[in-house]
Amino acid sequence: MVRDFLVWLQTDLGRGADGAQSWSEALLGTANFWGLLEGTHLLSLMLFFGTILIVDLRLLGAVFRNTPVSEVSAKVLPLTVVGFLILVSTGLALFFAKPLVYYHNIWFRAKLVFLGLALLNVVVFHYSVQRGIAGWDALPKPPARVRTAAVLSLAAWLCVIFLGRFIAYEWLECGKPIPHWVNVAQDCASSEYGARDVASLVQ
Amino acid sequence: MRLAELLPGLAPAVNALPDLWLAQAIKAQFSAWEALHLVSMSVLGGASIILNLRLIGVGMTNEPASEIQRNLRVWINVGVIGILITGLLIALPDARRLYNSTAFPVKMLALLAGVILTYGVSLPVARADGDMPAPARGWWLAGLAATALVLFFFATTSGLNPGLFHLLAAAALIVLFAIHGRMRWIYLAGLLALFGLHFAATHVLIDPYDFARGDPTNKAFAWVYAAWILGFAGRGLFGARPGAANRPLVQAVGYVTILVWVLAAAAGRWIAFA
Repeated sequence: MVRDFLVWLQTDLGRGADGAQSWSEALLGTANFWGLLEGTHLLSLMLFFGTILIVDLRLLGAVFRNTPVSEVSAKVLPLTVVGFLILVSTGLALFFAKPLVYYHNIWFRAKLVFLGLALLNVVVFHYSVQRGIAGWDALPKPPARVRTAAVLSLAAWLCVIFLGRFIAYEWLECGKPIPHWVNVAQDCASSEYGARDVASLVQ
Repeated sequence: MRLAELLPGLAPAVNALPDLWLAQAIKAQFSAWEALHLVSMSVLGGASIILNLRLIGVGMTNEPASEIQRNLRVWINVGVIGILITGLLIALPDARRLYNSTAFPVKMLALLAGVILTYGVSLPVARADGDMPAPARGWWLAGLAATALVLFFFATTSGLNPGLFHLLAAAALIVLFAIHGRMRWIYLAGLLALFGLHFAATHVLIDPYDFARGDPTNKAFAWVYAAWILGFAGRGLFGARPGAANRPLVQAVGYVTILVWVLAAAAGRWIAFA
């Protein structure tokens, strides 16, 4: 069902009666706009990850040890939110340009999993860890559970960055001889290139 | 401008680089080194943005600039060393392409300008809480000259110049952070109106595939965006409140240092397209 929706998104949405390009194909075919979107997606990483790093380093007690955590967060997190909004909006537009490629890409699927985990960590931090902030706000080195949340945040976002970069590579594309579990994980059987198990080729 | 044209004598050495054992080793893990390059860029970006926004008078304004410099200089060093090492490593297997790329020398020049402005001007000015020591004045002029050259090559290199919209977008965002009250809304409304006009001009009035008319239209809009952004930035600079860290020159250091790193990153990304 998801794939059917993405096929419609890629090939039908916006296609005129004259059989011209769909909006997705038109976006992918632009001379420079797609490049600008991709570049903006990468550049906004400097704003997003760069600023969240500073907040997490404060939670670890590595920077601004004499400044309350709440003050660092209040001043830096608005920048992080702006960076995140740009990342998400450009990411959605990039996905819209090639939805089927991303749907059948294991790195993209793994990236979404880690993105979910990173966001879950944000929610847990906000509603649980941060509740007792009055007790550790001004401490140069916050308690272990706060530092653990910071380490989890950094680890999850680093995984998102690495996996995002791997999407551009074609090592595990559907249609190539790849391990069975990868074919299953990226639903190659339903892709236009099909699934080829490397094990069956060896036999 | 390509290195192949500037330094043709290097061709045999450049052609041999991808065959080195180190280049072969990097090639096998190229994507991971590329991701590390991005992470280093982000570390530098975050630390540099927070430090230089403070020089502009935005962000962590409750802390003296010297305190921010003391806390973040290590992370600026980590970012710069990271991009240099990972950049060198990922350049090895790709040396022939970079040697013939029009974007690569622009990136290198922007990197040089970024290093000059960061270590020669921004960090010393922040350390002195907004005073500009004499050596920093010299580095400021050198950094400005290098940045002007980067801008010139960026704007005049076919295939690379669309990347200037990254610079405009980043500058627009910084000014949005830097101005307050009713002016911020006027500024934002103007930007959105310009964007709407730009889209209508290049997608409704002109066929999106009519490059002969679309290209000069895009360039004209780039000038209008730049004028709008610079106008509001200038108003912020010269209407600044008295106070060491908010002097126009110090604010200008903050703006230019952030933007030169954006130029370096944008040129790097456009190596893939130009």
